[in-house]
Amino acid sequence: MLKDKIEKYLLEVQKPSRYIGGEVGSITKNKQETDVRFAFCFPDTYDIGMSHIGMKILYSVINERENYWCERCFAPSPDFEEIMRKNDIPLYALESLDPIREFDFIGFTMQYELSYTNVLNMLDLAGIPVFAEDRTDELTQIVVAGGPCVCNPEPLADFFDLFILGEGEEVNLELMDLYHEMKQQGVGRIDFLRRAAQIEGIYVPRFYKFDYKEDGTIDKMTVTGNAPQKVRKRIIADFDKVYYPENFVVPFTEIVHDRVSVEVLRGCIRGCRFCQAGFIYRPFREKTPDTIYKETKCLCENTGYDEVSLASLSTSDHSQIDGMLTKLIDYTEKERVNLSLPSLRVDNFSESLLEKIKKVRKSGLTFAAEGGTQRLRDVINKNVSEEEIMSTCKIAFEGGYSSVKLYFMMGLPTETDEDIIGIAGLAQRILDLFYSIENRPKGKSPQISVSCATFVPKPFTPFQFEPQDTREEIERKQKLLLDSVKSKKIRVSYHDSDVSLLEAVLAKGDRRLCKVIYTAWKKGCKFDSWSEYYKFDLWLEAFEECGIDPSFYANRRIGYNEILPWEHLDYFVSKEFFIRENKTAHKSVTTPNCRIRCSGCGVNKSAGRECFCYD
Amino acid sequence: MFLLRLRAVFGKSGRARYISHLDLNRCMLRIFRRSKLPVWYTEGFNPHPYYSFALALSLGFESDCEIMDFNITDDNMSMEEIRDRLNAVMPEGMKIISVAPQNRKITAITKAEYRFSLVSENTHSLKSEIVRFMEQPEILIEKRTKKGVKTVDLKPDIEIVKCVDSGNSVDITLRLPAGTQTNYNPVLFIDALKNTSEISFETAGIRRSGILCENNEKFS
Repeated sequence: MLKDKIEKYLLEVQKPSRYIGGEVGSITKNKQETDVRFAFCFPDTYDIGMSHIGMKILYSVINERENYWCERCFAPSPDFEEIMRKNDIPLYALESLDPIREFDFIGFTMQYELSYTNVLNMLDLAGIPVFAEDRTDELTQIVVAGGPCVCNPEPLADFFDLFILGEGEEVNLELMDLYHEMKQQGVGRIDFLRRAAQIEGIYVPRFYKFDYKEDGTIDKMTVTGNAPQKVRKRIIADFDKVYYPENFVVPFTEIVHDRVSVEVLRGCIRGCRFCQAGFIYRPFREKTPDTIYKETKCLCENTGYDEVSLASLSTSDHSQIDGMLTKLIDYTEKERVNLSLPSLRVDNFSESLLEKIKKVRKSGLTFAAEGGTQRLRDVINKNVSEEEIMSTCKIAFEGGYSSVKLYFMMGLPTETDEDIIGIAGLAQRILDLFYSIENRPKGKSPQISVSCATFVPKPFTPFQFEPQDTREEIERKQKLLLDSVKSKKIRVSYHDSDVSLLEAVLAKGDRRLCKVIYTAWKKGCKFDSWSEYYKFDLWLEAFEECGIDPSFYANRRIGYNEILPWEHLDYFVSKEFFIRENKTAHKSVTTPNCRIRCSGCGVNKSAGRECFCYD
Repeated sequence: MFLLRLRAVFGKSGRARYISHLDLNRCMLRIFRRSKLPVWYTEGFNPHPYYSFALALSLGFESDCEIMDFNITDDNMSMEEIRDRLNAVMPEGMKIISVAPQNRKITAITKAEYRFSLVSENTHSLKSEIVRFMEQPEILIEKRTKKGVKTVDLKPDIEIVKCVDSGNSVDITLRLPAGTQTNYNPVLFIDALKNTSEISFETAGIRRSGILCENNEKFS
């Protein structure tokens, strides 16, 4: 039995409880009594993957169905991978400890580009051919992927049988139903894929072929197999009633987000022009405070967690935030549960809201200012003014906070040195503000942390057309920022420019990148999001060997008329809107949020309903 | 406030043996919260259910005698009810065996008993090796402590209760110092034996089988 083999080596590895299952809340079924088995794979370690809320939702949705069984699977850390390879332990799922190659579906969630090589590595560890075309003609081992990265799945197209676009709560079951039906009919893989392509939200890449022009851009796309010309993403129409788990798997080892999380809203009204999540998850939908309260209470009771976090892109944009928090804090205080509220925005950070969150959070405050000057913040449509940042910091300092964390991006479109120096200036003015406040926290030294990410242009954003700064330019700007900071109380950190370059290439890449990813993995690239494992030189070799120039994808401005690699995928927001927004950005003009005025992104037309009522 | 000081004896076996001591702490917190028992919470800045373990159990060891103290604020519950409510929310492999009022102080613990099998092709010779091993004038081992590595003589502290040749393994029961003063892990014994033994063997399933007081009485 595989279990005995695993246990033989388990005490030789770090945190063995990650590899053996048996956690409270994990769901075990009799495999003889199940019809379809789904291995939900997260292409990173257990500690990270177990924190992912989407996995918790979809795991429970599938397992609600008696005859379907969803199990979890993660990338083993290199220490255990070595043991697995040496001793012929194939990649297995944690509930049954059965090899995932025996499963009907092997489903990956693609949350970030730097996990792509891990997919190949996991398939290989599982003994499943990494290229879709090398897999058996039989109806088994259907390798699928969902998650935000599949809004441009082209760099992964050769490795997957199909992609699931948009929200998975309904479509995953439809797909499994179809599989179940066709398995009974005894049909093969290709017939199943042909039928699957007819389900809304299912993209089967092998039915789409691309021709390229001499300049490297896409000439045309040809569709075969009767698949749709444009694949629409799926959304949940009634978000307040959508299935939400009553229980989570509670890990033994500490994971990154080791708490209950309750989703309070989906989508975002803001329209920050760099933010992919802000567009691909539209339309904006909320859960009622009552639903949020019930889900919180139920999950806290069933898991025994003493901490709950509200998940959303911008929690303070909930139309009933005050009522919701009052209700939740009542419960969490009584039950001694800690409530944490990530994703609060600066501009609607009221004093009463701060009073409320002060009760629940003792750590520092984080503001995503993103741009160092007002001009640049207008370009990116981060509708936050310096006045608002200052007044919020003032409230926070007066309320006893002494440390503030600021998030910025570097390399944004139209950015000049003035904007970089502006980051240091803003941090300095916040520091000065601290000292100017009479009733500031006494005996505490202020700490302003400036965290500076590198701008990565992403598909389905108004900045999808923008080039990324070259590595040399980013490194120059990072140095300029460091030189501009004059106080030791301001701490600056920034991202590795090599990593951001690869992110941009993989995010905006086309099908020709499949061979680069394959080559890089063959050379030993995996866990690219872990700085200790990231091997940029091997990636460069892979690009070179495949004759692919990374700067074609990362550092080139894309024309509005070019056919984009993801143009056949419909995420409801129109290309015309992105072009319009891109032009508006270059005029440094902002677009108001969806609640103030509809900006005509096209979502309401696609979703078949208005997002908001306007008076 | 009414406070009933209780002591649970619990077991940890199967997959639960991969729960480290640190993780066990977190796990127990959630067990208490799920059970909704009226456990006493600490009164500090960050109130949490109070509980404490008598001894840490090494990762990978099984046990049927682990000790955990906690307090209950309700005197209307039977010991069985408390046990059953905890067992209803336990992870696989963990089980409360009994709950009773605390009898002796934690400091009364002086030793622990362990059982394990040494699997070998040649158990007969291995057993003779063990006898020879124990006849040495001293058994010096290197023990890592907070202050660094020090050399100690294990010999006077090893109490072999049983050493049986069962055909494909030699089954050993031994007692070692445990508690607030000295704690010896049976792996120290096994490693020392491995270093001197000419017969190769593999250790299977270490289980803690008793937490004892000075007179070999079971701690409760």
